[in-house]
Amino acid sequence: MRTGNIRDYLYESPGPRTRKRIRIITGIALLGLLALLGLIVRQFAVTGQFDAKYWYFFAKWTTWRFLGQGLLTTLEAALTGSAISFALGFLLMRGKFQGKLVRGISTFLIGFTRGVPTLLFIYFFFLVVPKTGWKPSAFWKITLPCAVSACGVVAEALRSGVNAVPAGQREAALSLGLSERRAFYRIVFPQAFRFVIPSLIAELVIVLKDTTFAYVVSCADLMQNAKVLISNYDAMLSIYLVVAVIYILVNYLLNTLSERIAGSQRRSGQTIPETNKGVAAHG
Amino acid sequence: MDNHSPVPMIELRHVEKYYGGLHVLRDVSLSVRKGEVVVIIGPSGSGKSTLCRSINRLETIDSGEILLEGAPIPQEGKKLAELRARIGMVFQSFNLFAHMSVLDNITLAPVDVLKKGKKEAREEALQLLERVGVRDQAGKVPAQLSGGQQQRAAIARSLAMHPKVMLFDEPTSALDPEMIQEVLNVIAELAKEGMTMLIVTHEMNFARRVADRVIFMDGGQIVEENTPDRFFSNPESQRARDFLHSLHADCEGRAFHE
Amino acid sequence: MGFSDLLTKYGAEYFQALLTTWRLTAVSFAGAFIIGILITVARVSPIRPLRIFGDIYVQVFRNIPGAALLILLVYALPYLQIVLPYDVCVTAATILIPSAFCSEHLMSGMNTIPPGQIEAARSLGLTFLQMIRRIVIPQALRSSVLPMTNLLVATMLTTSLASQVPMRPRDLTGIVSYINTHDTGGVTAFVISAVLYCLTAFVIGKAGSLVDRKVRILR
Repeated sequence: MRTGNIRDYLYESPGPRTRKRIRIITGIALLGLLALLGLIVRQFAVTGQFDAKYWYFFAKWTTWRFLGQGLLTTLEAALTGSAISFALGFLLMRGKFQGKLVRGISTFLIGFTRGVPTLLFIYFFFLVVPKTGWKPSAFWKITLPCAVSACGVVAEALRSGVNAVPAGQREAALSLGLSERRAFYRIVFPQAFRFVIPSLIAELVIVLKDTTFAYVVSCADLMQNAKVLISNYDAMLSIYLVVAVIYILVNYLLNTLSERIAGSQRRSGQTIPETNKGVAAHG
Repeated sequence: MDNHSPVPMIELRHVEKYYGGLHVLRDVSLSVRKGEVVVIIGPSGSGKSTLCRSINRLETIDSGEILLEGAPIPQEGKKLAELRARIGMVFQSFNLFAHMSVLDNITLAPVDVLKKGKKEAREEALQLLERVGVRDQAGKVPAQLSGGQQQRAAIARSLAMHPKVMLFDEPTSALDPEMIQEVLNVIAELAKEGMTMLIVTHEMNFARRVADRVIFMDGGQIVEENTPDRFFSNPESQRARDFLHSLHADCEGRAFHE
Repeated sequence: MGFSDLLTKYGAEYFQALLTTWRLTAVSFAGAFIIGILITVARVSPIRPLRIFGDIYVQVFRNIPGAALLILLVYALPYLQIVLPYDVCVTAATILIPSAFCSEHLMSGMNTIPPGQIEAARSLGLTFLQMIRRIVIPQALRSSVLPMTNLLVATMLTTSLASQVPMRPRDLTGIVSYINTHDTGGVTAFVISAVLYCLTAFVIGKAGSLVDRKVRILR
């Protein structure tokens, strides 16, 4: 239920004495932050981490191409995982609108997938599933558990989207003669879907972050490729830092996209109540 | 004979304000004597709300002076808070604190700002709520009250601070028609008791009944100033005439509020 | 291995693991909450460098994958001659990441406060600090109970990072990987941990709903 931006109206126009005080504290804060930055840079310099041997390979095209391949696999896993979690989540969401038994099972499954850490699912696919005879590739060993882990959240997001579509839409569709099924798929769900796009993008970010555990199942994603580079060039800090920054940037862009879409929806009057802040709260 | 103090309660001298490129207050000068009820009317965008809000510095001005009892209003800090404690303000959207009961709304400021004892503040709050007619709503939260009840509670909240002057920024504009009268009655009572008031409103009949002076604003300027009888029966400026005509046409067929 | 066999052999370890997970969750959430408040204060202050710092902090820690952060802390920091014990690294990761989300939730909570409330407080003569204490903080906190409940559950899920480093005692995820690599735990081993996680999440969720219903602000 966002209204305005508190930063805009928390403070009133400052008088002269307040302005002076703000200027002074701003100066102190700036100095403090610069000192902090200086300490960090100093530590890098003292331990020799600025040496060329830790950074020269970043000038090579092959380095970036290799990282890019890893990133591509990461994105592939994230998108595939999200797509599967969307399908599963859709089923679970539908389940909640059915009879008592199905609704109970759906509620249970949603709670289950939301309450169990993704790592546990990953270990399940890594350690237990192969013993049953089904041996999925490394790619699926990371994608499937991430998908399962996310489907509960997606189901809830879709449900709040469906609930946010005005009841009148379904009623109008039914009174025009559409069947309940048709009314849902042609009228209600398309609108619900548009509402929840920002949440789905946010969930994509979470899935992407979960795929970093691909090293557990030895899948060649960005993290794995980083490890290979490290063993090649013996430059752990610099490479991991760069990789971390890549992850942060990609996720930041996705989140910004999600917020941008949500913002434009809000402006054109189509928002849903943000009951599902849980999507964004996932570590 | 003249029982009004020589220093005006509120005084504005050549006040100017720009909002970006917009000249929202143009050379506004005005004074309100103790016990006087001044009503400001005018079309939207005329600056009347801005004028009202600049008196307790919710809006800043670019030049000119605003004085309360002869002293210029402070610009910041504790002094400004002290000034605001002496000026009561009633908002168009009531602005009762949503997370507290109505009673706590009233006692908050007297306890925190005037340092009153809790018990004393409570008793006085209940008396004030009785006076405005919402005593039975004291334990409820604002969302449970109707608009008219909320606004009356908001008036009680301001009164609890024993203000020297009360500002009303379109107090009934956000109310459903059937609740406007109850709020206007409370305000009229206050006027009768001698409270110095500056009221921005669209309620013409109310203005006629209650005001000592009517001020017509348009385009950021004070265009005309007169007693209500003279103003409403024979406005001097063309703009005021046009404005009243447009309201009249609007009002035809709408129940008058008095 | 059957359920009863598993319990007799590893029952004590499971109990320890549950306590470890609970402990980590509680400590991390408390730490995340404190840091979240500090960061929010910085982001809301009128001091621009602090605002920018707070915003960058949030963007870094809400977007960085837990595994990446943990690896940086455990394996990369030593190159800067900062060697931290395993449990400190895990706790740092499980505090830093939720702290960013905590700040986001607090900001959202503050954004639900209509400007009129602030103006009314001001016009009654309340000082800035009085206004923060009596109006802003209560309304922000009471509006953010449900997101904070979700965050507590998310923190619990994040503590599974402990399984990635040789931390003792093991947490609920670490113990499953241990049992399945040193023994044959099968599905049962997973189910026990999963159920323990779920029950904790369920209880947290219910408690949060109850609190929210009590303190929710009607507008």
